[in-house]
Amino acid sequence: MLGRTSHRSPGPLARAFERFRLNRAAMAGVSLIVPLVVAILTYPFWWSFKPNDIDLLAMNAGPSAKHWFGTDGVGRDVFARAMEGGRISLLVAAASTVISAAIGFLVGAISALAGRWTDAVTMRFVDLVMTLPPVIFLLVLASIAGTGIWPTILVISLLSWPLLARMVRSRLLELRERDFVLAARGMGAGLPHLLFRHGLPNSIDILVVFATLQIANAILLEAGLSFLGLGIAPPAASWGNMLNAARSTAVLEQYPWQWLFPGGALVVTVLAINFIGDGLRDAFDPRAELH
Amino acid sequence: MNAMSKISSAIAIAAMMATTAMPMLTAPAQAATLSGGFDVGPGGFQGNFNPLAATSGFTWLSVYFEPLVTYDEKLQKVVGLLASSYEVSADQLTYTFKLADAKWHDGKPFTAKDAKFTMGLAQNAKTGSVLAARLTAVSSVEAVDHKTLVIKLSAPSSSLMDTLTKVMMLPEHALSQIAPDQLAKNTWWSTTPIGTGPFKFTRYVTDQYVEMAANSDYRGGKPALEKVINRYFANPAAAIAALRAGEIQFTYVDSNDLGAFKNNKDFRIIEGDSFVVNYLGFNHDSPIWKDARVRQAVMYAINRDAIIQSLYGGAAKTANCAYVSEQVVPKNIEPYAYNPEKAKQLLKEAGWDQINGNKPITLLTYYTTPLAANVMAAVQAMLGQAGINVTPRAVDTPTYNSIVLNPTPDTSQFQMVYAGLQNGPDAGSINVGLNEKQIPPAGPNVARVRMPDLTKALDAALGETDAAKRDARYQEVCKVMNKDLPWGTLWVANRYGVASAKLKDFVWTPAPGGGPYQAHPEKWSIAE
Amino acid sequence: MLQYSLRRLLIGAGMLLALSMLIFVMLRLTPGDPIDAYIDPNVPMSPSDLVELRDTLGLDAPLPVQYLAWLQQAVMGNLGYSIKRPDQPVLSLVFSRIGPTVLLMGSAIVISIIAGIASGMISAVRRNSVVDLSFSLFAVTGISSPPFLSALVGLYLFSVYFDWLPSGGMLTPGRDFSIADLLHHLILPAALLAVAQTALIMRYMRSSMLEVLNQDYVRTARAKGVYEFWVITKHALRNALLPVVTLIGSTIGLAIGGAIFIESVFNWPGMGLLMVDAVENRDYPVIMGSTLVIGACVIFVNILTDLAYAVIDPRIKVG
Repeated sequence: MLGRTSHRSPGPLARAFERFRLNRAAMAGVSLIVPLVVAILTYPFWWSFKPNDIDLLAMNAGPSAKHWFGTDGVGRDVFARAMEGGRISLLVAAASTVISAAIGFLVGAISALAGRWTDAVTMRFVDLVMTLPPVIFLLVLASIAGTGIWPTILVISLLSWPLLARMVRSRLLELRERDFVLAARGMGAGLPHLLFRHGLPNSIDILVVFATLQIANAILLEAGLSFLGLGIAPPAASWGNMLNAARSTAVLEQYPWQWLFPGGALVVTVLAINFIGDGLRDAFDPRAELH
Repeated sequence: MNAMSKISSAIAIAAMMATTAMPMLTAPAQAATLSGGFDVGPGGFQGNFNPLAATSGFTWLSVYFEPLVTYDEKLQKVVGLLASSYEVSADQLTYTFKLADAKWHDGKPFTAKDAKFTMGLAQNAKTGSVLAARLTAVSSVEAVDHKTLVIKLSAPSSSLMDTLTKVMMLPEHALSQIAPDQLAKNTWWSTTPIGTGPFKFTRYVTDQYVEMAANSDYRGGKPALEKVINRYFANPAAAIAALRAGEIQFTYVDSNDLGAFKNNKDFRIIEGDSFVVNYLGFNHDSPIWKDARVRQAVMYAINRDAIIQSLYGGAAKTANCAYVSEQVVPKNIEPYAYNPEKAKQLLKEAGWDQINGNKPITLLTYYTTPLAANVMAAVQAMLGQAGINVTPRAVDTPTYNSIVLNPTPDTSQFQMVYAGLQNGPDAGSINVGLNEKQIPPAGPNVARVRMPDLTKALDAALGETDAAKRDARYQEVCKVMNKDLPWGTLWVANRYGVASAKLKDFVWTPAPGGGPYQAHPEKWSIAE
Repeated sequence: MLQYSLRRLLIGAGMLLALSMLIFVMLRLTPGDPIDAYIDPNVPMSPSDLVELRDTLGLDAPLPVQYLAWLQQAVMGNLGYSIKRPDQPVLSLVFSRIGPTVLLMGSAIVISIIAGIASGMISAVRRNSVVDLSFSLFAVTGISSPPFLSALVGLYLFSVYFDWLPSGGMLTPGRDFSIADLLHHLILPAALLAVAQTALIMRYMRSSMLEVLNQDYVRTARAKGVYEFWVITKHALRNALLPVVTLIGSTIGLAIGGAIFIESVFNWPGMGLLMVDAVENRDYPVIMGSTLVIGACVIFVNILTDLAYAVIDPRIKVG
């Protein structure tokens, strides 16, 4: 890697990568998240219990050599569920991040590049969505969508894009009046051309940083939704609905392994992703313009 | 007192900051005040003050309001409360109530005119009364004299007395000025209501608590307590925390949260029949359940005893029809003991592979408690073993109702429900869930049960005017249910309340809807 | 300035109108209506019992008719009655909840502003020291923990296990009001709520402070021999506060909406709980009413923030 960049004057991406590589917190984040993701993806190959296999004779058992993280209220293996829950939580987080990044980028870029009227209308709409009390938006949207993986992805995506749209727009507004954009327009370039040839490269750093931090946010949001009974519904596992078990005082107090392990996995993952996100932000722009 | 708690909170803050382990108690509750979570759990209805609109919450309402008749503490028979005695004519069409010598909280006497007025409000759906449909058999209500009320029916009704326990008497002199359609919106209910009960309403602090003071003129004697406080809780877990911290002396507790109170001499666990039968409702509009052998297979595939032992801690009875009480369950009905081999065999005979095979079947429920989530996981796993692939889907109550009560439902959204229905104290309660005439929109027969034998048996039982023969009629209902399996009946679970050991003569039972029943709040007391 | 404020207020009013339409449409898309929420499936009660009620509420009328009927009343200041608790007007219900919410969120914000700005400054000045690292670790853990989990654990520890603080609610029932009693109930939820906020403010403060410390005028001041303390408090702090003010402004607006998790765990009678309850019961008038009130607060606070921004930063001119 190093050899490649040293041949010629490094581009901005390569320079950012170099800065990122030197950020200790970010590298700590990477070294936490990589093994975790590998474990989550491969666990069915090396772990004998399945997340939904019940065993009423071995319920609420503490951690042991057989069940590393103990068992839950119907004798399911907490380790397997924490892994499976991680899959679902990460899937929800990743998918919703991609969707909200796409919506946010398109709305922001179209608003900035498609002319003043479009701009005014879209930005008023973004303002409107941001004025809607998030609690109500969340609750009503979740009631409409229902529970399950895809509804949860939808809810989180729809909740998260307006901020990005604003950031992309303000970045690209400067671009609108620049020569090369005016030239491209003059030559009859369509909106898609402007969006993807000029808009995308110029906001890629915002997108990358948003995406990373949004994954962390989405994991927490999923957990919150599931806590309110709106996200991933049991018996499917997710970190959020496993934590929901801590609502019962019996579980909180007497069977702490049922929430400590998924909770720990969640906090470590979010923490690592936050480290990486901060590292990326500093790497792309030491003057940190993303708020 | 003021200075005390000021100091205590200052110390608490200091203690928190220094994180030294210095036990700080909230100042002890004032003597002779009982605080409780009376509206926590399935029998509660926080924020409702209007008995006409009450679908539940009667435990608290009957602390200050009283009906003419109520259930006894065991919920076995109806006894007089504001009616000192009552008679039913031989043709079951005339009910005569002799009223007790009671006074409203403002000192005015309670008379038959008040009772007639209240019946009028309850029968009038415009008042927002949820009782109106259940009182359609009433043809006239007359106040013969100050202390005698006569209710006449157009046809005999075996459920009239049950309905009357829910009609809380209201004062005519306070409410007659209000137009019926404005009654529900009136602030009287939550500011200055008066009843005839042992406690008087003092104040409601919005969404936090309701406070009552002793009614020293109560005809049953001056209450032992000075105050009763009903605290509101957003969820049962918050109520449990308050109970354990000694801030309240009573609350409903989910059975899986009992652990902390067992073998603890500071608390007394109160156990009672929930009178709710849990069942798997087959959606009979869906072709997959047509074959009776498939429905039998579901019954054999589920190890109900194991679920009851492990998840309910043994505190439930298996139900092989809608009932579990001995007098309405005939001998020699099929017990559907756990037999996975037989389940597989039955499915094979029925040709399950052609009927549905391994396609996922949505199992809809409105139960969202941790216990229910565990039950669903167990049911899913057990049915999966037999070859029936169900996917549980828990939704909130309005969503559930909008799906299952829809007159033209989308069958794919709910091929099966996990639900519960009240099966007592009046055994006729289950009629609405099983009678063919109650298929939505007429009623809540959400499983769309169309079984002529069952409808006939239910109609016969409901129309039986001879109380002595009624049990036999309901035994017939049970027998038909057991054979034809309109539902996959599961169990009737117990429910729990936990009271501080300091409470004396405290009567509570987990009645459906919170009662009403004879709780004698005037006798409740609290030790120092 | 005045003209600018007026124009913003006018736009705000238009926004509220659009907001009410949006939420109205969204509400009708939710499965089930208030009547469905009223029926307890466990109780033998048939939907036909409630036909009259549905009629009274006008739920069968076409949507635009329902909306216009609501709007007509709302413009005159009548937000209607709660459906679940018909004896309570929406406006008084919402206002009775705003007080507790503002108290809770306000205390949390004050705690987090003080703690966040102070720790952020220290971190920036003592960059990469042990103090900085431990503050950063605290911040990042605070941001990374689900709020309901820390609330549950905090409740269990301080109220049930140590028995230091009340388990929830806002006042001890049945006792006369006293400030001490209120504080006693407030401290735990406010402190827990402040954790994430503190972490956020601290991070912003730190990075914004670092940036400012590298600016020419700070270097100049240092070069002129101004005491380091004055450099930081006088020259750097004021400029570093700018982005933090925006952040605080946006949180204050949202704060009126309440904190559902803390409120639900601590049983705090605030807006968050009211709205959870209203959505669960499809209590349309309450949801519409609280959306409108919160929306108005958010818009108003945003205008105030922009004005405050102009006061702090002379480079910005509004108008």
